[in-house]
Amino acid sequence: MAFVTPFTYRQGESILHRLDVRCKFFMICIVSMSMFSAHLPAGLSYFLILLFFFKKAGINILATLSSIKYFLVLLFFVFLARALTREGDIIFSFYGISITGQGLNEGFLVALRFFLVMLTGLVFASTTKPSLIKSAVQWFLKPVPFVPEKRVAVMISLALSFMPVILKQAKEISDAQKARCGNLEKNPAKKIIRLVLPLLKKTFLSADHLVLAMESRCYNDDRTDPEYTPSGNEAWFLAGSLVISLGLIFL
Amino acid sequence: MMQELIIDIKDISYTFPDGYPGIKDICLSIYKGEFILLAGKNGSGKTTFLRHLNGLLLPDSGHIFVNGHNVSKHLIHTRKTVGMVFQDADTQIVGDTVFDEVAFGLENLKFKRGQINKKVTQALEDLGLFHLKDKNPSTLSGGEKRKLAIAGILVMEPQVIVFDEPFSNLDYPGTIQVLSTIIDLNQAGHTIIMATHDVETVIYEASRIIIMENGFIKKDGKPADMIQYLEPCGVREPCSSKFGLGIQPWLL
Repeated sequence: MAFVTPFTYRQGESILHRLDVRCKFFMICIVSMSMFSAHLPAGLSYFLILLFFFKKAGINILATLSSIKYFLVLLFFVFLARALTREGDIIFSFYGISITGQGLNEGFLVALRFFLVMLTGLVFASTTKPSLIKSAVQWFLKPVPFVPEKRVAVMISLALSFMPVILKQAKEISDAQKARCGNLEKNPAKKIIRLVLPLLKKTFLSADHLVLAMESRCYNDDRTDPEYTPSGNEAWFLAGSLVISLGLIFL
Repeated sequence: MMQELIIDIKDISYTFPDGYPGIKDICLSIYKGEFILLAGKNGSGKTTFLRHLNGLLLPDSGHIFVNGHNVSKHLIHTRKTVGMVFQDADTQIVGDTVFDEVAFGLENLKFKRGQINKKVTQALEDLGLFHLKDKNPSTLSGGEKRKLAIAGILVMEPQVIVFDEPFSNLDYPGTIQVLSTIIDLNQAGHTIIMATHDVETVIYEASRIIIMENGFIKKDGKPADMIQYLEPCGVREPCSSKFGLGIQPWLL
């Protein structure tokens, strides 16, 4: 059975699925970079645009939020840290710990920016085959001197393809330990060691097998170049993403 | 009719870098169109031997010739001629769609994109996998994954296909799917070499059995003559033969 993560590619025929991967790659880069200067109205407007594309790509937003719940917990801590440490007008104080209005605003904004970057990446990963991501990396790295772009691209593609296999192996190891009451162990350090050591061993073994399988099929750096298939909507999307980026920076 | 020699193995031995013995003094001739079962218990050296046929391991002594070419000096020719399907399909699959997975070998050989698309489509159609071409391989069933691994090899048009325990971890329908595919490949002219510790499923189709023990070839001959040597070498004798019915097909 496949181990599907929120970042797993989902087959589809939406406009985002058909968009040239280089265009998508460029868009995600500029929008994500602009996000770090985004203010609340621009951020919330961008969230609405993302919701529209989630719907278009056939991704269930509620199921997605549920699958990234640990990331949301992390964002809550980021929000809390900002809210508690930022100086300003105190709106609540308890045993010397103060929450300020400025802290709440800043915490919410920082958490929102991370959340939106995460969702943007998620839409990109769900609508783009890892092999196409590999092709885009190869295309963008080609002009960079001293970088073996084909090798880097294959490494990225393998890392993306193997993530579900590694997660599945981690789940199997964890279940095998639970079956022998391993969950009764309270020491988190011991728990991690018990999981990580067999997982590393399995991962290295799988990597060894993969190397043999690739070698047996004549793997080398000098391979057929990837094929790019523009859908014809790239110019519109590029213009749109530039407008969104400017909006995120200046609004 | 004179048989055409395809792989000639001359006295090869291999010891692992940690000193663990692999295979010893193996001499063998493999002919075009044969269906060879390589039987033996775990640790008898089957996988180590198979990896020499594809040039994944090179012998410490002796030589292997594939179509007259020395494997050590003609690795690409060897790997195009001898395709290898590994035991664990999950770790063999590189592509993120069924189509990309099958295209991997041809991309390595620098085929043009148009040729790749044509050959991959043909291989997928031949193995009945074309309707799955855009699927993520990790979502396929065990039998489909094994067939996909075969398609990835078949597209490179090998003359010999080597299978390492192809039925391990497969359920009954998966085993039937894979076995039927292997029989079809043999009937289409491919030489098949299959390592297994359970010969029951496939002995009827085999034209020759080689029994390995402790890295040596213990016995080599026609299936009917080899049956008596299976159990002493740690390989279970087929049920039909145990009940005095000789070798019967597993696939009805």
